[in-house]
Amino acid sequence: MADDEFRQQALQHLDALHNLAVYLTRNGSEAEDLVQETYVRALRFSHRFQPGTHLRAWMFQILRNTFLTFYRLREREPALGEAGVADGPAPMFHDAPAQDGESQSAHMDLEGALRRIPEEFRTPLMLAEIEGLSLDDVARIMDCPVGTVKSRIFRAKERLRTLLKDYGQPGREQAP
Amino acid sequence: MTNPVDNEPDETGHLLRGALPRWPAPARLRRAVMEALNPVEGRSRPSLWLPPALAALAAAMVMVLWLAPALRRENGNQMEYLSRAAISEHARAVLWSDTRADLLPAALPRVMEESGVTLNWVFTGDDDLQLIGAVPTVVEGRRAMSLVYRDRDGHTVVYVISPGPIVAIPERGRVQIDRWRPLLRKESDGFSLIVWRQAGLVCVMASDLVSEGDVGRFKQYFAKVRASTELTKRY
Repeated sequence: MADDEFRQQALQHLDALHNLAVYLTRNGSEAEDLVQETYVRALRFSHRFQPGTHLRAWMFQILRNTFLTFYRLREREPALGEAGVADGPAPMFHDAPAQDGESQSAHMDLEGALRRIPEEFRTPLMLAEIEGLSLDDVARIMDCPVGTVKSRIFRAKERLRTLLKDYGQPGREQAP
Repeated sequence: MTNPVDNEPDETGHLLRGALPRWPAPARLRRAVMEALNPVEGRSRPSLWLPPALAALAAAMVMVLWLAPALRRENGNQMEYLSRAAISEHARAVLWSDTRADLLPAALPRVMEESGVTLNWVFTGDDDLQLIGAVPTVVEGRRAMSLVYRDRDGHTVVYVISPGPIVAIPERGRVQIDRWRPLLRKESDGFSLIVWRQAGLVCVMASDLVSEGDVGRFKQYFAKVRASTELTKRY
């Protein structure tokens, strides 16, 4: 792929990469740094990209690997509580999209629940459900078999449902 | 809609797609990434009057003899330039910061306006390290900001914030400090530097703390300043 074409196509995935970066880092400033680092690395290693394969998935893979290498530290990872989910304060974002009060509350609950799922489960869930990547692509990004990805997504959803019940999300309770 | 994973009604997936807010890239990030993707923008184009064969030959020779090694050195040169600029700022701060100590905090709005860097939050000091000055400056032909700190032993620490260009910070030489992993350089002329990126800006902290113990203090200073300072690139 020509450099210009590569750059043009790479830029198309900026919003999606930033979105995942925000949910990975839980910090707007670090998310921006992570995305920049991802692009610098993608450009540096662009000769390794195989034309015809999925550029979007390749860039997600770089982003996640960069996050794991430089941004995630054990001490930053919230400790697991008794219920097997992370404890800790609510995430802080600086530029939350404008929303009405009720939906914002629901979003915060959903964000809060998502944040309490370990990264290994949260990332494949987001890649498959939010970004619409195939399970094969997700498996490549996560560097694990497709079966593992399926299992992690299933468990992530299961845990998310439980957490949303804990949060008392209206309409999410099972009818008696 | 059914879930491709468990073949059950995909309520959770639907909820995620419909209710989870998306975070599109802010404009400043888009600009920074475009700069990173197009580093050659603005360079002079090759002359058009050359016959095509000669132009191709010339281009090939240039590539082999000059451009390729130059490209390999480009990032290194940028890093060297940043290092020299930060050390120069350190020298200026040592010479003149005392006479300008009265500039803070009144000077900050003007410094932000002139430097193109907004400080949403800034570390103003504690028992170990005090912010004593802030001045607009120029790094690599671009407006930048220099914050001057002094520790309780009289060491000057300068924090230079530059809107660009994007510098790929090499992995070799990075160190883990708290939750960050910046580049730590020890210069041969008695300075230590810490280089990192923050909110699309290139940041360099320079000090004359070079012994093993002093570098440990320098790292602590970095962690304090980095944790308490929030930046925005204005243009």
